[in-house]
Amino acid sequence: MNKEWVKVFIAAFFEVFWVIGLKHADSLLEWIGTVISILISFYVLIMAGKKLPVGTVYAVFVGLGTAGTVAAEILLFDEPFKLAKLLLIFLLLIGVVGLKLVTNDNEEEGALTK
Amino acid sequence: MSWIFLLLAGLLEMSGVVMINRYHQHRNWQSLLLLAAGFGGSFLFLALAMKTLPMGTAYAIWTGIGASGGAILGILLYREPKDWKRLVFISIVLVSAIGLKLVG
Repeated sequence: MNKEWVKVFIAAFFEVFWVIGLKHADSLLEWIGTVISILISFYVLIMAGKKLPVGTVYAVFVGLGTAGTVAAEILLFDEPFKLAKLLLIFLLLIGVVGLKLVTNDNEEEGALTK
Repeated sequence: MSWIFLLLAGLLEMSGVVMINRYHQHRNWQSLLLLAAGFGGSFLFLALAMKTLPMGTAYAIWTGIGASGGAILGILLYREPKDWKRLVFISIVLVSAIGLKLVG
């Protein structure tokens, strides 16, 4: 697994936290956690855009964040399970894997710096 | 009015995505400020739009404008790859994400 892609996945992982936080946080500690998640998620997202095409990075960030949030809402917050959700998550993952495969990991600007 | 807020939210998200590229070319506080203003303003207008529009619909349209617009501007302004496979997979990811927001 390429380091740049790990950054995209970490950004999406924290995106799930803050999206849930914005919806469910109701104590100071939870709001602090939400704000920290936003900062981590955007920092890592921006760093991932250094070598990978930003359009690709952002689509994967948004996509995985959405899939993760829908899954977390079902598992943790009693949102109803629907077959359509599962199928869409599956389709989304096909898109992410496809993007990973067709992306040349070092073709972006800044590739010279490291 | 809420539709105009939503459109603005989407456009600001697009500009936030463009600013990520700009930041890597001009690493200064102006770039960072524009980036933060893009995403910050985007969230603000999204929240305003959601006061009257259904949440799923607003999220779906916002994602659609911001992420696809960001990808298109990346190709036009920063010469990101435009081979058909990349475009197809980006479309699959975004269509699924929009679908999830509408279903959820």
